[in-house]
Amino acid sequence: MARPTMSHSSSFLLPTTDSAAAAAYAVVVLNQRLPRFAPLLWNRARLRVCADGGANRVFDGMPELLPGEDPDEVRTRYKPDVIKGDMDSIRPEVKEYYSNLGAEIVDESHDQDTTDLHKCVSFITRNPPCSETSNLYILVLGALGGRFDHEMGNINVLYRFSNIRIVLLSDDCSIFLLPKTHSHEIHIERSIEGPHCGLIPMGAPSASTTTTGLRWNLDNTSMSYGGLISTSNIVEEETVRITSDSDLIWTISLRN
Amino acid sequence: MLGRAIRSMDVMVHSSTFLLPKLHQPGHTPAKNYALVVLNQNLPRFMPRLWTHAKLRICADGGANRIFDEMFQLTNEQDYERVRNRYIPEIIEGDMDSIRPEVKRFYSSQGSQISDKSHNQETTDLHKCISRIHRSTSDHEKTNLCVLVTGALGGRFDHEAANINILYLFSDMRIVLLSDDCLIRLLPKTHKHDIYIESSVEGPHCGLFPVGAPSGSTTTTGLKWNLSEAKMRFGSMISTSNIVHAEKGLGWNGP
Repeated sequence: MARPTMSHSSSFLLPTTDSAAAAAYAVVVLNQRLPRFAPLLWNRARLRVCADGGANRVFDGMPELLPGEDPDEVRTRYKPDVIKGDMDSIRPEVKEYYSNLGAEIVDESHDQDTTDLHKCVSFITRNPPCSETSNLYILVLGALGGRFDHEMGNINVLYRFSNIRIVLLSDDCSIFLLPKTHSHEIHIERSIEGPHCGLIPMGAPSASTTTTGLRWNLDNTSMSYGGLISTSNIVEEETVRITSDSDLIWTISLRN
Repeated sequence: MLGRAIRSMDVMVHSSTFLLPKLHQPGHTPAKNYALVVLNQNLPRFMPRLWTHAKLRICADGGANRIFDEMFQLTNEQDYERVRNRYIPEIIEGDMDSIRPEVKRFYSSQGSQISDKSHNQETTDLHKCISRIHRSTSDHEKTNLCVLVTGALGGRFDHEAANINILYLFSDMRIVLLSDDCLIRLLPKTHKHDIYIESSVEGPHCGLFPVGAPSGSTTTTGLKWNLSEAKMRFGSMISTSNIVHAEKGLGWNGP
């Protein structure tokens, strides 16, 4: 089957990168501890959105991640563009601080049908930070770990917005969706990611998945919960290619 | 036809009495024995209580490092050595590539059985631990034995996914994955489920997720947003940030 190819790269995590060549991205911060690379990601983002208590995490966490610098100066430099949510987690002094610095506070009523992340992704798609929206990445911090229902809801956002490049990042790994509508080419940045990786049929079984570039490649292989899923695999080549009849979650470990 | 099939399904009863301060027998359910499996992540804060009442304690490889290093700060004890000598696993199982040599020596000298499965690279450490329990438990005992696992959630996502798959691969066992924030268990489609909520230690936040395959029909009672023959799948609706209401908690059934 001739499917279009979708290319993926984690160049946004490289310490130094040609900003013209690097992919444009927005950062969303949810309410969990910041990963250690948060300052690096923040700097080159086109848009920075905190979901409610994510603003507390930026306020407290950025100075902690940059201990050699003056906390107030760090907070001024690393300020969100938008704080969105029902504001029941953000501390009043944090909200005031960022509001005074010009952050847009988008208060909203408690909508039970969608998660905080869903609301932020919707917001970003309606208010894109730049013209090239087709390749805009949305990088999410704080979506994994913690309460399991939150994590599941966040992963569901990847499925519900399968036409948008959303990457969930933690200290340990990154994950994103590989929609079945495309063949996928994943360019591995060996200096910052790997070698551990996996392919997970979260939502539905896969009758046939084929890969190249992994230590244990799949060859027209079935995968399902209750059967085989590909975990603790190893990236062996600089490009990993994946084609599947089912949507899959790709995950790769991040190096320290 | 479907209604009749559901009505005649066996009911599986679940409760989290293992989390209560003293193991007691609530009227509605017999006391459950449980085995404890410790994986290689930060111990949850309630680990000392969990350890004390377990029938069997297995550390999966580097889980032994965690007990060795972290138990002390979770207790109110002053004597470091006394704590170390008290919390000795019966078994340490796995491929032994994470456990530190001095930790292995210490527990071995204290009588822990070291079950070195380094020749087997096909399965995860958790898989090996659960296999062992599965093999040594009769079918009858399986319905009453709960296996509690700490350190299975969070961390590397492929590890977490593999750990969740264990629930599916061993769906005839009651396995509960525990973290500081939550617990998760599989509700096999072969049964109706009654979940008794211990509101002093769990809730109110809860959820139901069709991991692995969509659900054509799910029905619940006892939740703030109950499902009524609802379809669930990733890409559409899944039940997150729900709230448990009743003491008895939720009944769940459906394929």
